[in-house]
Amino acid sequence: MEFSRLGIKLFAIDSSAVRVKDFVQIFHSWIQKQCVDNHQLIDVHDYSHIHHGPGILLVAHEGNFSIDMAEGKPGLAYFRKKPAGTSEETLRASLKAALHAASLIEAEPSLEGRVRFLKDKLVVISNDRLLAPNNATAFEEVKPTLAKVFGTKADFTHASAGTKDRLTILVSGIEV
Amino acid sequence: MPTWEEKLSERLDPQLAAEIDKFETEIALRKQGKLDEKVFAETRLRRGCYGQRYDNGHRHDGIRSQELRYTTDLTKGPDTLWDAPGMQRIKIPFGGLNPDQMDVLADLAEEYADGVLHVTTRQDFQYHFVHIDDTPSIMRRLGAVGITTREACGNSIRNVTACPLAGVCNTEAFDVIPYARAMAKFMLGHPDAQNFGRKFKIAFSGCRQEACGLVNMHDMGAIAVTRVENGKVRRGFEVYVGGGLGAVPHDAKLFDAFVPEEELLPLAQAISRVFGRLGEKKQRDRARIKFLIAKLGVEEFKRLVTEERQTLQPDPRWTEYLEGAGKYAEKPLKSPTFLNGQKRPEGFDAWYSTNVYRQKQAGYVVASITLPLGDLSSWQMRELAGIARRFSGDSVRTTVEQNIVLRWVSETDLPDLYRELRRVGLGAPGAGTIVDVTACPGTDTCKLGISSSRGLAGELRTQLAAKSFNLDDAVKNLRIKISGCFNSCGQHHIADLGFYGMSINVGNRKVPHFQVVLGGKWRDNAGAYGLPLVRVPSKRIPVVIDRITDRYVRERKDSESFQDFLKRVGKKDLRAMLEDLTKIPPYEVDPSFYSDWGDPREYTIGDMGVGECAGEVVSPAQFALAGADTLVFDAQLHLDSGEYDLADQLAYKAMLQAALSLVRAESPEARDDADSTIQEFRTRFFDTNIWGDRYAGNKFAQYLFLRHASPPTTHTNDQAHRLVEEAQLFVDAVYRGHEILAERGAR
Repeated sequence: MEFSRLGIKLFAIDSSAVRVKDFVQIFHSWIQKQCVDNHQLIDVHDYSHIHHGPGILLVAHEGNFSIDMAEGKPGLAYFRKKPAGTSEETLRASLKAALHAASLIEAEPSLEGRVRFLKDKLVVISNDRLLAPNNATAFEEVKPTLAKVFGTKADFTHASAGTKDRLTILVSGIEV
Repeated sequence: MPTWEEKLSERLDPQLAAEIDKFETEIALRKQGKLDEKVFAETRLRRGCYGQRYDNGHRHDGIRSQELRYTTDLTKGPDTLWDAPGMQRIKIPFGGLNPDQMDVLADLAEEYADGVLHVTTRQDFQYHFVHIDDTPSIMRRLGAVGITTREACGNSIRNVTACPLAGVCNTEAFDVIPYARAMAKFMLGHPDAQNFGRKFKIAFSGCRQEACGLVNMHDMGAIAVTRVENGKVRRGFEVYVGGGLGAVPHDAKLFDAFVPEEELLPLAQAISRVFGRLGEKKQRDRARIKFLIAKLGVEEFKRLVTEERQTLQPDPRWTEYLEGAGKYAEKPLKSPTFLNGQKRPEGFDAWYSTNVYRQKQAGYVVASITLPLGDLSSWQMRELAGIARRFSGDSVRTTVEQNIVLRWVSETDLPDLYRELRRVGLGAPGAGTIVDVTACPGTDTCKLGISSSRGLAGELRTQLAAKSFNLDDAVKNLRIKISGCFNSCGQHHIADLGFYGMSINVGNRKVPHFQVVLGGKWRDNAGAYGLPLVRVPSKRIPVVIDRITDRYVRERKDSESFQDFLKRVGKKDLRAMLEDLTKIPPYEVDPSFYSDWGDPREYTIGDMGVGECAGEVVSPAQFALAGADTLVFDAQLHLDSGEYDLADQLAYKAMLQAALSLVRAESPEARDDADSTIQEFRTRFFDTNIWGDRYAGNKFAQYLFLRHASPPTTHTNDQAHRLVEEAQLFVDAVYRGHEILAERGAR
């Protein structure tokens, strides 16, 4: 089991504070400043018309950021497109990118501190059904890697909604 | 490390597997520098791998042009960087899908694209932001469920489309699906269809009077018809050729009123051979079959095709599918039942009134799922696959209106189906109404986009949905279609209210605009093409719609159709009604006009800096161009009155006047006579390629050159209609020409 393409989602503390359209302007300004480390930011896409969809998407060569509305739970999602080395390195790189983007949003002047993200739990999504299928075996196999990154005190829950979904792990009991 | 190739090897058709292996090898060769970028570009296009906006490595961020830095300088085509995200088009013949295919389509959008599936105006799917390295895996996974991307783009036979109601329609002659399927299969990769100068599109319709398969706008279209011969009903097709939208739309010409079913595939093969042999290859903008047919005349074209048909070696595939075609019928999942006294959920009745079609098979209905901007998420697609398994089985179709339909739904299941669709955000009413706006990708992702068609469509959808309950029924059923440029991917020519994007310079800034196109006809297989009326700033298009529809409600006589109303009121009056909307406030007064819908970036400020405001200085060129605009408009009025000769002359004169305005921008004393204008224009702008739009090339100049060199000997509606369209495009392009000159001057 390997992490090659990987997603991290950080949930907004106050869902009602997320006005998804605000992020069109914010993400465009990120491109103007190219302010996300180690990412070639490319374009912004507005998918706010899709129910529980990717919301506003910031496309980068290395991975995509979005104000994700999946399951009606707004948050910041980051999906890395290519591995960054080993599974552990890929997970660390993805987490770092997601946290960096979250810190930029939390510091965004136009949002006046309204949007903040939970730091004690997040979701890890394996975005590769071949290398990390959604099953109990893969879940058990991935735990050691997760423990290396999130610590041995973290709780890992197999959280995929259905068998056809991607391998999704709720990570809680952490402080990132 | 496992690969999809190994995992799926048993499930892939060997021929398809070999085809994908070959493409993977070509990717490797290109990476090693052993395959020319132009050759690779065509080979990837033939696999549906298309370029996407900014793939040349540059993007204007609203302040400056940024270079996009990737890890490699490798290209996948001229000026197209390897690492730049691209678009993957997926062919869905006649829009037919089953739930297993829907699951895979959902998975792939999630893993390789941005988690969104986009339905196109030709029943395809598109993924955006895909890396070329991932495409072989995408193709294998699609291939394992019977879907191919082969020939989804490029100079090939594109997706074979058909009416989404085929087989269940109340007015069809017979179900065209077996024929559409056989055509798609037979012509896929056919050796006789590999030498085209441009793409070739085929459509099937079950009847003439509905919009159905939009046969009139296709390179080859077949409408189902029957004949009684010796007391037996015989199936055949009314076959049309040479239709097409594009910059200048052409009506399809009747090729044969009755082609017997067994002759359909050989006819397509013979047409392909003639097109491959005689179609234009060098001049891309004249290479569609419509130009060949216009040049030869349909009778000569038919003679050549008939002659070619005689030379074909018999192929069992021409007829082997026919045995099943007559008996072909889809198997419903459930028994037929009727909607009786069940409790109806809130919103159900409104949804039912617009999104449900009663099939000819009593007790069954087709339920339309309106997709905003043709988009749905992976999650929605997967949920929809589950809903289809529960309510309709394998009978799912995409539509050219960028929606999805579930067929063979037992009527009594509708309330439950509606609840399920609502749960996943797919229960919006308004299918096929004014709210259900069609739009091409435009500036969002298309390299050719000029204005934001999706941005405008989203805004119109929001505004119209908010007031849809108060809209008059006559207005509710109008259709809006939007293209980001003149190329018509949004099918603006066949809408009641059509729009195509363009840019206009105001002072030293650019303002996104749309041409308002009125008079198109959706029904009767795209029965008539609209003509441009006036260009209006993008931000004022909602007002255009309000004004026109309000007036239609106020002044229409009895049950007067929208097209008849437009004819009665007349273009002059309609244009006058919108004239004030064309005025643009200076940037300092209202900068919102200088950005596009859904995009906060200032609309191409270029490198010119801030200059004088609009309206302060009017150059002689602007006067001349305004005059050319007026001439095109007058040409339209004569066209509408049936005065084709006058329409032709005025359209030609408009082009000359516009050309002269450019010539005089460089040489103020240039003479005002046709030969000299053409000569000067050719030398200064055409031969030097200064004016040539990067993608459209010098195609618009050719309109003028052709008309000048070969004035029509007879004047017909077709010819005059085309020249008026061409003149409008030429004048629009001259506006751009002046911008280029201004930019050069500023530098």
